[in-house]
Amino acid sequence: MTNEIWNQGIVRELIETNITRRLIPRGLSWFGCMGGLSLVAFIIQLGTGIFLMFYFIPSATEAVASIQKVSHSIPYGWLVHRIHAVGPHVMIGMVLSHMLRILFKGIYRHPRELHWVSGACLLILTLIMYYTGYLLSAVNRSSHSAIPMTFVYALHIAGIPLAMGLFMGMHFFMVRKTGIYEPL
Amino acid sequence: MKDYTKGKRPEMLEPFLPNELLRHLIVSCFLIILEMVAIMVFPLPWKIFNKPDHIPWFLLPLYQLRTLMQNEVVFISAVVLSALLFIAWPFLVCDRKYRMSSLRNAEDRNSNHAWHGKELHNLWYRPVLFTIVISTIIFLITLCFIKT
Repeated sequence: MTNEIWNQGIVRELIETNITRRLIPRGLSWFGCMGGLSLVAFIIQLGTGIFLMFYFIPSATEAVASIQKVSHSIPYGWLVHRIHAVGPHVMIGMVLSHMLRILFKGIYRHPRELHWVSGACLLILTLIMYYTGYLLSAVNRSSHSAIPMTFVYALHIAGIPLAMGLFMGMHFFMVRKTGIYEPL
Repeated sequence: MKDYTKGKRPEMLEPFLPNELLRHLIVSCFLIILEMVAIMVFPLPWKIFNKPDHIPWFLLPLYQLRTLMQNEVVFISAVVLSALLFIAWPFLVCDRKYRMSSLRNAEDRNSNHAWHGKELHNLWYRPVLFTIVISTIIFLITLCFIKT
């Protein structure tokens, strides 16, 4: 089946048009990579978050013990936990740098208004994502919290990431459609 | 997908593979190094801002605004309004003159005229917008240093 698809040339054509034979404008700025870096930071958060999901128990009585188990008993668990805790600072720094570049260079203008709208929504969602993550660790510390931990956890691992995925899809689709900001 | 080859001479283009991919790989390596350094350094041993430990640096202006505004309804309204203004920014600053130069730019991509069109959109060349943006940034930074 895979060979058939390859022989028909669909996959080959996709790879050639998108990667190997693709031409882009010369002299793109290194600062133009900030958007890509934000994506890399998000992927790091996603990877470490999925790892932590296997061990974290979203219950007021067992949450602290589960995180301690990750940090002390699982090989390199402490590193994954630390990356997941510190990563948002780097990610938000990258997103803010990307946004400031777009703002000062006026790249949000026609026909790229919706790039800005989706990007701004992504920034707000990133901040909410950090806040729910913080609430999870705060609920960990105080077992008598008013907000149910399972609700915050569901938001943190499913609700907001799904919304972010939707906006990211929109953002990348529009970037693909209208193209990047070209130097002259 | 956008075709960048239209109306361009071959010397104005470069291959995506390896040039752009390599550029992204190099900066991604820097990002990973940055994260590793951040893991070692965070939390910082010194205090730059007067804030509780659980408030991160990027939420500090909001926290200070919350402490300054006693009324919760006013605070939430201000935050929601600011978020809406921030999202709708391209539509609020849309100007017919700049829109026209953008269209000319699209038609005449490789001429000097297009370069001027791009320059006009730069925030440095729009004094009112530049003042608004810089004042907002200064206001946010000042908020971080206010002792409440």
